[in-house]
Amino acid sequence: MDLLTPDTGLMFWTVITFAILYIVLGRFVWKPVGEVLDEREARLKDSLEKAETAQKNAEEALKKNEEMIAQARQEVQELIAKGKKTADSMHEEIIANAKNEAATLIERAGKEIKLEQEKALDEIRKLAVELSISATTKVIGKVLSEKEHQQLVSQSFKDLGELN
Amino acid sequence: MMFFYSLMMTALPTDPSEGHAGGDNDIMHHILDHDIIHLPTVFGIDLSISFHTMWMWVATAILLIFLTPLFRKRHIVPRGRVANMIEAMVEFLRQDIIYNYIGKEGKKFEKYLLTVFFFILTNNLMGLVPGGAAATSDISVTATMTLLTLSMVLGAGFAHHGFFGYWKGLIPGGVPGWLIPILFPIEILGILAKHFALTMRLFANMTAGHITILSLIGLVFTFKSYYIAPAPVIVAATIGILEVLVAFLQAYIFTLLSGVFIGASVHQDH
Repeated sequence: MDLLTPDTGLMFWTVITFAILYIVLGRFVWKPVGEVLDEREARLKDSLEKAETAQKNAEEALKKNEEMIAQARQEVQELIAKGKKTADSMHEEIIANAKNEAATLIERAGKEIKLEQEKALDEIRKLAVELSISATTKVIGKVLSEKEHQQLVSQSFKDLGELN
Repeated sequence: MMFFYSLMMTALPTDPSEGHAGGDNDIMHHILDHDIIHLPTVFGIDLSISFHTMWMWVATAILLIFLTPLFRKRHIVPRGRVANMIEAMVEFLRQDIIYNYIGKEGKKFEKYLLTVFFFILTNNLMGLVPGGAAATSDISVTATMTLLTLSMVLGAGFAHHGFFGYWKGLIPGGVPGWLIPILFPIEILGILAKHFALTMRLFANMTAGHITILSLIGLVFTFKSYYIAPAPVIVAATIGILEVLVAFLQAYIFTLLSGVFIGASVHQDH
């Protein structure tokens, strides 16, 4: 056997061996490995895409949440401001009402006092008339005629009026 | 020193036909093939099982035993170091050679090129086993592998462009008519030369490594001195490490060039 002369026997066995190896490895190794590699690639791609979408969704949700929180905060602020306004106006109203009522009460009290005063004055006048009548009766000792009586009363009224 | 001697003895290929012409120290005697089991010659083919045939079968058996059970269950999540390593190599070959040079038609040649790579790689590594031999250091094996690649190249060309279309496509477009009779034989020679180089590259690389290692170890016997032994042994061991690299490299180059040739045959216009 020479170094550079191909040996047909070995060539024959090489072809046979290679053919067996090709069939067996092709069927049991290269096919599953290729499929696994392809599937892994597809899955990785898929997962990456899914992860990206999920992240986008999460970011969107976060943005929405933030917007909602901001909106809620604004609404709360508005409510508080409104409440304050209402409370202020009510406060003023109550005070005004109270003042009004107080004024009415004072007015009424004044009127009553005047009325009572007049009543008391009337009574005092009556009493004065009676007293003067009885006094004059006692002083004069006789019952005056209707004409004299009237004269006297008017005279005393005059005097009272001057006194007043 | 006896340690080195025993190491050297195991490093040499065992030779059942001791006392063969050429003598024990003849390096060529260790490089060349020899029959182990004699079988009859059928149709001019000597079916005898030779030393290289045996080691080719050892390599094949290793591949079948270690690779076949690995992928019985398909796992999407990688598992196991060996399976991972094989997957990484397959992925590398697919991306770097098959789909890179052949394109999407590469799927049809995936099995062939992967088998070629692992067959050559394992055979190359068998040459590093003490007492073993690399079948790829035999020109019969490399020539057969090249013939298989050539048939793949022609088959791919015929399948994609038709029988006559392929030969026509060998001539680049825009060539003047009178040049065709000159160009056509050149192109044919080019194909043959490329494939011949493919044969010789693998064969020469594997054989040269063995010759280098054997020559270095042969120095010990030439000098017949224990004191001289460490130097050649250390250098031979270094060459041995280099041989591991060469084993991978040559398997890769053979597969790469096969892929390139098939790709060129599929896409003739490029």
